[in-house]
Amino acid sequence: MGEQPVEKGSAPAAVQPKPRKARVPRQPMPERDPRRRRTNFEEVPKGYSEETAIVEASRCIKCKKPFCILGCPVNIDIPKFVDLIAQGQFMEAFLKLKEQNSLPAVCGRVCPQETQCEAQCVMGKKYEPVAIGRLERFAADYAQVHGGVPDPERAPSTGKRVAVIGAGPAGITVAGDLAQWGHEVVIFEALHLPGGVLMYGIPQFRLPKEIVQYEINNLRKLGVRIITDHVIGKTETVDQLLKEGFDAVFIGTGAGLPMFLGIPGENAIGVYSANEFLTRVNLMRAYDFPRYATAPIRPRHAITVGGGNVAMDSARTALRLGAQSTIVYRRSRVEMPARAEEVHHGEEEGVVFHLLTNPTRILSDATNRVTGMECLKMELGEPDASGRRRPVPIKGSEFVIPADTVIVSIGNMPNPLVPQTSPDLGITRHGTIVANPETMATSKPGVFAGGDIVSGAATVISAMGQAKIAARSIHKFMMDGAEPPGQPPTLPQTPAR
Amino acid sequence: MGKISLTIDGRRVEVDEGRTVLEAATEAGITIPTICDHKDLSPFGACRMCIVEIDGVRGFPTSCTTPAAPGMVVRTQSEELRTLRNRTLELMLSGHPNGCLVCVHREACEKYRPRPTKAGRTTRCGFCSNRDECNIRTLAFAAKPQELAIPTLYSSYNLERGDPFMDRDYNLCILCGRCWRICEKIHGVPAISIINRGKWARIGTAFDKSHVESGCTFCGACIDICPTGTLADRYARWYGRPTAETPSTCTLCPEGCSVLALTEGQKLIANRMIAFSSQTSLCALGRFAYPQVVNAPERLTRPLAREGGELIPVDWESALHAAAEGLQGSAGSVAVVASESTTREDRHLYAKLAGALGARLGTVPSVSGPEALEPEELKADLHSGKIEAVIVNGDLLDESTLGQLKYIVAIDCLPSNVSEAAQVVLPAAVLSESQGTYRNAAGEVKPVAAVSASPGEARTEWRIVRDLAQAMGLSGFEYAAASEITPEITSDAAPGRLSANPRFSVNNLPGRFRGHYLADTVRSLEAFELPASPHKLLEQAAADGFALLEKREVVPNMHLLKIKAPQVAPYAKPGQFVILMAKETSERAPFTLVDWDAEQGSITVIIEEVGRSSRELVSLRPGARIAHVSGPLGVPFPIEKKGTVVLGGGCYGIGAIYPIARALKEAGNEVICAIEACGDYLLYMESEMRSVCDDLLVATKDGSRGVHGGVQEIFKGLVEAGRRVDFFVAIGCTFMMRMASEATQPFGIPTYVALNPIMVDGTGMCGACRVSVDGKTKFACADGPIFDGHSVDWDELFFRRSAYAREEIEALPQMAEITASGWQQAESRGSDGCSLRQE
Repeated sequence: MGEQPVEKGSAPAAVQPKPRKARVPRQPMPERDPRRRRTNFEEVPKGYSEETAIVEASRCIKCKKPFCILGCPVNIDIPKFVDLIAQGQFMEAFLKLKEQNSLPAVCGRVCPQETQCEAQCVMGKKYEPVAIGRLERFAADYAQVHGGVPDPERAPSTGKRVAVIGAGPAGITVAGDLAQWGHEVVIFEALHLPGGVLMYGIPQFRLPKEIVQYEINNLRKLGVRIITDHVIGKTETVDQLLKEGFDAVFIGTGAGLPMFLGIPGENAIGVYSANEFLTRVNLMRAYDFPRYATAPIRPRHAITVGGGNVAMDSARTALRLGAQSTIVYRRSRVEMPARAEEVHHGEEEGVVFHLLTNPTRILSDATNRVTGMECLKMELGEPDASGRRRPVPIKGSEFVIPADTVIVSIGNMPNPLVPQTSPDLGITRHGTIVANPETMATSKPGVFAGGDIVSGAATVISAMGQAKIAARSIHKFMMDGAEPPGQPPTLPQTPAR
Repeated sequence: MGKISLTIDGRRVEVDEGRTVLEAATEAGITIPTICDHKDLSPFGACRMCIVEIDGVRGFPTSCTTPAAPGMVVRTQSEELRTLRNRTLELMLSGHPNGCLVCVHREACEKYRPRPTKAGRTTRCGFCSNRDECNIRTLAFAAKPQELAIPTLYSSYNLERGDPFMDRDYNLCILCGRCWRICEKIHGVPAISIINRGKWARIGTAFDKSHVESGCTFCGACIDICPTGTLADRYARWYGRPTAETPSTCTLCPEGCSVLALTEGQKLIANRMIAFSSQTSLCALGRFAYPQVVNAPERLTRPLAREGGELIPVDWESALHAAAEGLQGSAGSVAVVASESTTREDRHLYAKLAGALGARLGTVPSVSGPEALEPEELKADLHSGKIEAVIVNGDLLDESTLGQLKYIVAIDCLPSNVSEAAQVVLPAAVLSESQGTYRNAAGEVKPVAAVSASPGEARTEWRIVRDLAQAMGLSGFEYAAASEITPEITSDAAPGRLSANPRFSVNNLPGRFRGHYLADTVRSLEAFELPASPHKLLEQAAADGFALLEKREVVPNMHLLKIKAPQVAPYAKPGQFVILMAKETSERAPFTLVDWDAEQGSITVIIEEVGRSSRELVSLRPGARIAHVSGPLGVPFPIEKKGTVVLGGGCYGIGAIYPIARALKEAGNEVICAIEACGDYLLYMESEMRSVCDDLLVATKDGSRGVHGGVQEIFKGLVEAGRRVDFFVAIGCTFMMRMASEATQPFGIPTYVALNPIMVDGTGMCGACRVSVDGKTKFACADGPIFDGHSVDWDELFFRRSAYAREEIEALPQMAEITASGWQQAESRGSDGCSLRQE
């Protein structure tokens, strides 16, 4: 397999005089062979070459009214950066991206573009949408590889101090914007490495950790102080931070409380929450044992329960640790919340899907180690509150899947540490923090929040979108209502699924 | 030689002339207890356990040194002998940690923990890797241990972990002299001997040099003959007693020494010499490195085939098919390059394949690399590009040759430049995974036994070659087993001798196996200056991080660490814990806070060395930095005025109850602290405890001080004395907390325990630490760690704590290291080279 396969019939690169653009198909991105990648943690897609990127970027028809921007939670000027790529001005394209998105290399990889920008692309109505995500990744990788990215300019110091709780996607975004506008920003991170879900959750083969740390370093270059190993809520409370001289506080502590199934046998050895499983492998590098001390997980047959992106990450990680990997999901393929691409990658690599199947009991041996999972077959009934057809158990359809590892990936609740210790913070019954969607201000003056702690478990980019809004409100709050530089973001119009 | 006849215990016994009384008795099936005696050693008379009564002989001669004489009347059992032997045993035990032997909870404890806990310093049988094979333990049980009442005088010698492969803890040594005697017997001049005198007599090298410099050949005989846990094989020690011992042959070098392969299940854990003699001794590679090569994590486990520039994992059939096709493409200019480190059967098939293909055959001595390829012409042809394709079974082709070749089929066990450049890689089962025979340099043909499971999909080489031949349509390779190949081998040359036998000196150790540098796989070999590929520095000391202000081993194996952690200290509360990571590569390990100083910004923890994480931490020296300290974590202990409180602490728990006692006392409670340890020399922080409680009660498992037993016995004593107890707190090992909870339950006294399950993040994010309390799942890190001891599902907790027992053994560092166990070196090592007993 070559490095830059071009789909059959496509024009070879930019030498071609502008053809009728619609004829050029969406450029595929070369990927590692599934047989190889399921045995290691190398990144799966290899990224566009310069030639392919230009071909793909040239597919953009530069609509007068670019809907794609509306689909982007952080309002990137998509047509502009795509056009810059089409003209071969890669670094300029990257700088354009950077204006609105502090983490383009990350978002180019993990955003669900097919439901956001690309879902709005006019090209997609008749043909296939422009591969905005792949182009974003291309520009970001180009800048990183070629270097020479000018350090972002910092406005003169305002003398204002902001505490950011959590160094995940929301915290990083808020910190980046505020630091750029001249504020002093301190991020408090509970774990030993910054990055949040980008470090502990999303696997290496989907988002190399080097990229996350590169972005974190950029943040440090902006003067942001990142204090790791600091558990706000167990150390200072939000009130104390405000008292200690922070002018504003941003809470971006995410959804880090794993949910379990509540079925018998769930505390057997070999049952993991997806959080534990992924943290052990991604953050703690259990796959690099014994260089890293974290005990390796050596599954022979792993069952992942759930149908979201985290479930796909878990199942594909289990595969890479040497397991036969099975997904058990109680609804059907259509209802799966995971990105189509992730499901496809999982299938390619050999993940087996047991759909319309619900676990009822985890079986274990005399030493309490998992030996299998009893499941029940389901069928789809009437639609439920989410609009999806409710799965109904088929009586007497119990069967057992043998396994030594079960990964429970049915979602996360918001992390209660900060809300618990800030009694006057408005909390919903789901445990999320109440924030005004237009300002991300909480019920507590000077305290803002964004990301999964507000929205419940969602995507990296939606957290970043909220963080962008919060950054502007924090600036205004501290600077007596003055607007920060740059375009105020419009609220994203993410279409319903 | 004539026979003589004597009477032992009233029985007429006939033995060969020249035998000792002990031998005569043993032959007659009469058991006389002994420790220093060994069938492969000449009589020594050190332990004095084998004393007997002989008519007409004054006193109690040692049967091991007394020659049997005609007409002798010997008694091996009498009340007096029993008393004398028990006194002897007591004296021996006073210099050997023995608390478990006389512990009233031993049986329950050992049932609860069927495997000894791995520990840095062995302070009792439960922490001893030799527990199940200990001769003293056997004797003590035979002698009714409760009658042995002399407490342990702990010697406080340094742990010796600075040499490759061997761990030595002379605090367990009873001076039986087996080790130096076997060393002398095998090597003529022993590398070790008894040094110093009287109380300070111990085993050591001349001038206290490291064993690497002492002339020690690392044959391991001293470890294998040691009756106690003093000398241990670092790699094998915690796997427990081997489940099988199989005679086999080491094929790492042409010496082809006989070995006894020790396996635990399907895993090879060690090789041992088949008999203790100079003719059968082993070198460091055969004895120690061999199992680490077999069990190397980097072993090749899947067949790979190159597609589109990348090596892709494929199934065996596709790999063999691809290899066959690729080789046929270069028919006529193929070579087979094989290392001699394989069985004869493997070598025969390589040669046969070469013959059938009309290919050239090159061989490389098992301890050499590409430079030693023979014949010379083949080397030239490989360089010139005359040969297009090669089947090769090791790192046996140099860079320039690799560049010349069109097609490479690598049949190997470890990755190398060759396998990286190959078109097809076939993973091979090697050494103890492959059955066959081996002809050594002396010309002997010896059996090689398959005793361990090969990793992943690896297959034996004869089978790979057979299948490859069949895939190429060659006939004459229809073998079902290696034994069917053996008769075909009519003449096979013995491999060339090494210039110097590695058995005689570590300076003679070969550095390569199949062209691979052994030190790449077995890092300890770097201590012998064996060559290795340049490797990246694995771990850097934390540049920033948290300064270690103070570190001392307060009692054996229990370390106090005072750490600068200004973000933790001001917020710490009793009952909370911190997560520590010594290095960036460490696990996140939780430790209960013992003390803190908000002003100084420091925290104190007590760490018991039991595994890699704690070892990494306690190996740091004062002034070093701990990579990460996170906390305070967990829900603080509820401090209320309740009346009379009993706080029970054991092991690290003594430190853990200290801040709770202080706070409860300040809140106006009557605080009784009950602390337990295996022996009185393991009790610590007593004066600190006294300052925060109204009454300090002590229990020891060996009865050396206070109540004989544990905190539950103290509790029972209090209740029997009519003391009112309003609530009870127990912190220590899971077993102790469970026993304490069970003791208080009948009295309905509320009992709190601080649970210690495996944790990862410690902030409630992962659920690794879930425990069942009152039938509900709780996260110990976020909901605890303090729970109602009467509602905890202890069995579940026990199982969950042992989830990674095996991996934890694998994780222990195998590298030779400078032991940095603070107190022994800095504080208590006197000018005479001896350690002083800790107060």
